[in-house]
Amino acid sequence: MALLKVEKLSKFFGGLNALTELELDVFHSEILGIIGPNGAGKTTLFNLITGFLAPTSGRIIFEGEDIAGLRTDQITRRGVTRTFQTSILYMQATCFENVLMGYHMHYRQPKWKAFLHTRAAYEEESVAKRKAIEILEFMGLAQLKDELASNLPHGQQRALGICIALATAPKLLLLDEPATGMNPKETAGLMKQIKKLRDRDITIVLVEHNMRAIMNLCDRIVVLNYGEKIAEGSPQEIRGNTQVIEAYLGKEY
Amino acid sequence: MKYSHTKWIALVLFVLALVLPFVVQNPYYLHLITMVYVNAILAMGFALIYSTGLITLGASAFWGIGAYASTLLVMKSGLSFWLAMPASTMMTGMVALCFGFLLMRYPGVGFVVFTLLICFVIERMFVYIKIFGGWGGIIGIPPPNPIHLPFYSFDFSSKIPYYYLSLFLFLVTAIFFYSLYSSRIGRAWRAIKLDSRLAEAVGVYVNGYRLAAFVVASTFTGLAGSFYAHYSMTINPETFGILKSIHIQIYAILGGLESYILGPLTGSIVFTLLPEFLQISPEIEPYVTGTVLILIVIFLPGGLAGFAQRIPTVLFRWYTAIARK
Repeated sequence: MALLKVEKLSKFFGGLNALTELELDVFHSEILGIIGPNGAGKTTLFNLITGFLAPTSGRIIFEGEDIAGLRTDQITRRGVTRTFQTSILYMQATCFENVLMGYHMHYRQPKWKAFLHTRAAYEEESVAKRKAIEILEFMGLAQLKDELASNLPHGQQRALGICIALATAPKLLLLDEPATGMNPKETAGLMKQIKKLRDRDITIVLVEHNMRAIMNLCDRIVVLNYGEKIAEGSPQEIRGNTQVIEAYLGKEY
Repeated sequence: MKYSHTKWIALVLFVLALVLPFVVQNPYYLHLITMVYVNAILAMGFALIYSTGLITLGASAFWGIGAYASTLLVMKSGLSFWLAMPASTMMTGMVALCFGFLLMRYPGVGFVVFTLLICFVIERMFVYIKIFGGWGGIIGIPPPNPIHLPFYSFDFSSKIPYYYLSLFLFLVTAIFFYSLYSSRIGRAWRAIKLDSRLAEAVGVYVNGYRLAAFVVASTFTGLAGSFYAHYSMTINPETFGILKSIHIQIYAILGGLESYILGPLTGSIVFTLLPEFLQISPEIEPYVTGTVLILIVIFLPGGLAGFAQRIPTVLFRWYTAIARK
């Protein structure tokens, strides 16, 4: 059974058909790539899945439950988290505080105990802080933990965004163009980290324009154009697909 | 933030506050300081809502609800002040909850406008609904019933017990709010203020947390209202109008919102006492105050408290600059 099943999903903005009757499956522990020209509807798809937009019609079924139209925080609590195309971070907070914020949904102690600063609440906070440091180390940002997020260079800001997403312990992670603004060395490092995430049993859907990353990382690729799926298959199949090449990849591929 | 300095300053201020009535005998000055505490509670309430990224212009309305509710409970229902105070406080909270559900749909500018609307509507309500006494309001509000402790009796016939009661209420509010700010609830509020979309994306129920802040702030504002009614012994709708809401904003914002507790307190101290001590004729006082406010907005973005925290650093720099010459 698919972890995430998108059924006949449509989103119309007045005169603009952002997505038309899209059908998509995401399977456990796979890395699925979604590519397509700008405006193809990739970010709209992410917005719909994570509750920033409500669909015009169609269903989004995650682990057997239709999550279409739920609030974003409700969807995150069910295990679906996304990163953002632009660096959306708590700019005036340190990296450590940024990641710590991602742990919010895991607190089990009741809020009144947190208010009274009981021992149990305090210990939960210690656990949260430890996890935050672990995540920063995983993404290689540990030495920057007390640095303000706004001071970070662009590539590390994207990495921090992934850290925050990881703090929510997602089952399904949607990465929206994580390699944008990264140099080849940073991109290679990112690719290794994404593979490590899959080893930790996190299913990943990746939107990227960096073709090398997509071809190397993804088990399967879905190609969108003008809000419709025009191709689906393994990286080799997509590379050879003439429709895709016409729409997007360019002749050298 | 200079955390250790803050603790020492707070301790010194606390001791000063405790002994003040023995040093300052003039009842008018005691009255001013009592009002400082009341205004500080109101300003801290504003700051609490601001900590989630919302600006309210309706604080004075809830101050009024607490005041009128407490008054009516004592004068019409015969309740003791000591029961009426918590009761009216809770009632204010419940009214805030009702408005809150509606307000949460419109964060941002909508929220400001709607709280302003609440301010006007509540003020009109106090004028036109008979039981609130119309434009003249209610006079002859009884003081709190005396408390009889084994070794001492407090009776509220002089300003001094009122002073300590308002100080007590201020401290309760400050400690309650500080406890919230330093917990994960405060952290969630900070996240919401910095970027509410991101907060929602990581699982924070933004509207719920904002509603909670709004209700808590309004509840304590109502508490201050209950005190005020039985302190000044007369209340009228004008006291709780839009002008007071603006004053509350001034206490909070110009006091400095880097600290949600010391900033409002600073602003409340300065802007309650300043107009009194400037001793200018009433005609030009607004212009002078207005000019001061504008200057502060332009030159001191951290407000007065923010500036005060930087004084040691500024002085040090001046000293080293002069010493080099």
